Amino acid sequence: MIVVRVVQTGDVDALVALAEETGPGLTSFKPDRAALAARIARACRTLEDRAAPHEQGYFFVMEDTQSGDIAGVCGIETAVGLDQPFYNYRVSTVVHASQQLGIWTLMRALNISHDLTGYAEVCSLFLSPRYRTSGVGGLLSRSRFMFIAQFRERFPQRICAEMRGHFDDDGTSPFWRAVGSHFYQIDFNAADYLSSHGRKSFLAELMPRYPVYVELLPQQAQECVGLTHADTLPARKMLETEGLRYENHVDIFDAGPVLECHIADLRTVRESVVVPLEIGAPHDASHSGPQDGPRSLVSNTSLTDFRCGVAAGTVEHGVFRLSADEAAALRVKAGEPVRVLTLKHKQGTS
Amino acid sequence: MLFVRPGRLADLDALQQMALAAQPVLHSLPPDRHALEARVALSEDSFRADADFPGEEFYLFVLEDSASGQLLGTASIVAAAGYSEPFYVFRNDALIHASRELHVNRKIHALTMSHELTGKSRLAGFYIEPGLRGDAAAHLLSRARMMYIAANRKRFTSEIFSLLLGVTDDAGVSPFWEAVGRKFFGRNFADIEVQSGGRSNTFIAEVMPSYPIYVPLLPEAAQRVLGEPNEKALLAYEIHLDEGFETDRYVDIFDAGPVLTAQVERIASVRRNETRIVQTTGELLEDAAAQGASSETGSGGATYMVASNGERGEFRCVLAALPRQFAPLDAATRAALGVRDGDTVRCVELHPESGHPSSEDAS
Repeated sequence: MIVVRVVQTGDVDALVALAEETGPGLTSFKPDRAALAARIARACRTLEDRAAPHEQGYFFVMEDTQSGDIAGVCGIETAVGLDQPFYNYRVSTVVHASQQLGIWTLMRALNISHDLTGYAEVCSLFLSPRYRTSGVGGLLSRSRFMFIAQFRERFPQRICAEMRGHFDDDGTSPFWRAVGSHFYQIDFNAADYLSSHGRKSFLAELMPRYPVYVELLPQQAQECVGLTHADTLPARKMLETEGLRYENHVDIFDAGPVLECHIADLRTVRESVVVPLEIGAPHDASHSGPQDGPRSLVSNTSLTDFRCGVAAGTVEHGVFRLSADEAAALRVKAGEPVRVLTLKHKQGTS
Repeated sequence: MLFVRPGRLADLDALQQMALAAQPVLHSLPPDRHALEARVALSEDSFRADADFPGEEFYLFVLEDSASGQLLGTASIVAAAGYSEPFYVFRNDALIHASRELHVNRKIHALTMSHELTGKSRLAGFYIEPGLRGDAAAHLLSRARMMYIAANRKRFTSEIFSLLLGVTDDAGVSPFWEAVGRKFFGRNFADIEVQSGGRSNTFIAEVMPSYPIYVPLLPEAAQRVLGEPNEKALLAYEIHLDEGFETDRYVDIFDAGPVLTAQVERIASVRRNETRIVQTTGELLEDAAAQGASSETGSGGATYMVASNGERGEFRCVLAALPRQFAPLDAATRAALGVRDGDTVRCVELHPESGHPSSEDAS
């Protein structure tokens, strides 16, 4: 069974190996043993309630329990911007109108903002290319919302996710060329690396202090504002299904959109239920094959040994059924509570 | 002989001809006859008024050929720009974006809508017949205003400014307008220019950008014309620079044309201004003889602007060749200036050589 579980200290070698599969671009997950070990340690401290609010963050791995293969990672930051500022542009609306001239012009302006300070953030999702066809991307992403639903009190009121912005075929960002390059005077990857490694002081020194009018930028750069990278569109769609929305915050480097919502409004938080576990065949296995019938995200309710996977069936008669193998993989026993979210047909796991 | 004098209502026909010929429209020289008449009437009142400080006054000068009585140009001074409404310019600020950690340091210019020039005296409404040969007449007409200011300091602010036409392409399109103004107005430069009332209309506040505009984010073509004068304004630009006006602090909000500023006490026509006693040319010979070998310049000749500031606003300014001292003037010049033997005139050398610093420079 493929499960998503909280990271453990012993995962560091597997994570270094997995990070070697990433290309350039995912700056938050690099094959840097020390950085990964620190990240794991931070996640462990968070689970043990030994982390200060500004450093709290959870880190999950996706594991094939049969082979022990680590196939993906994802994370949640509890509250961004509490140590170093969390910068975004807020895309505001400015109307210039004159009755005398019969003019009404709507402009957008980019304002440096810290609006998202204190938001939880879902981040650092990476799935090995070896597993991308197996329909487990949705599990990897949504397992985080199962965790949040289960431990709601450990998170703030709102949550966000940063989407990668649009890049040209040559790998450069038209928005960066039109805006960032003039201010930061280093290349995009260098800026992105520094920023994602907590060396953000250059931002305050170099970023535009005044709002930037979008309509005065080259057409190509204007179009980048709030535009998601083609490769990230499936992730965006998944998050939107979950209830996150673009609310006019974009990245300061590539102008990719930030999706956000109230945690209480997350679909998984609203719709998942906790029921006792029964060991046995899925309830509806009698009248249709498990491949075609309903499927559910199911997790245990343990903080320090949280595990989440996908299983056939749905909640019936107030219980959920797993096979003995599945129950073992999720580390739950008969009669113990499990959290279940029934997946809508053709949605969620791909 | 060409001379500059205050405009009069009797000049209205000729002024209207010039107003119609001026391209683009000069706000202080409106082609509409009633508007123009009102301007000229205001000017007549202003010259006669006993002003102790700059207010709503408007001073309109004309360039006349004494031989033909024909008017060949006009120029004016607005005592306080945007007297009743703010006067808008872009202030060109330099912001330093530096990071020691990254070893980067850059000066980034940003244009901010500013009212700072509101209430300052402004040189405006310059028009000269395109057929006139040489630069001397343009120098005389433009700088006669400085001569008037020198003689009437309290009528004007201590800092003055002048806004010149910015660069347009062959089709008359301003690259800066296309990159900035059009985005806000959605209209042609010419449409808005006519209605803008010389950068003092309410709609500017409503429509133009309220946040600063970062220059490096603008298209190249717009950046290139920032603070650059139009070809047609090049001579006027050079005359201002000769006077000691400074560039770069401000640009026009519509076409980014240069806005030149100067402290009155530092401009050449004020700094080098000297008062001399008028003599008839007959006495010149004796004086020249009296100077003898002490005359530094040998022949002693140089072109000067000579101005008389008479009663009830009667102001005249001409160009005349003068020696280094005294003001020997021939009969025609005395007539044009309306002065007699023994009267005082103000004199400033038109193109002082660098080897002859004024006494104030030396101090």
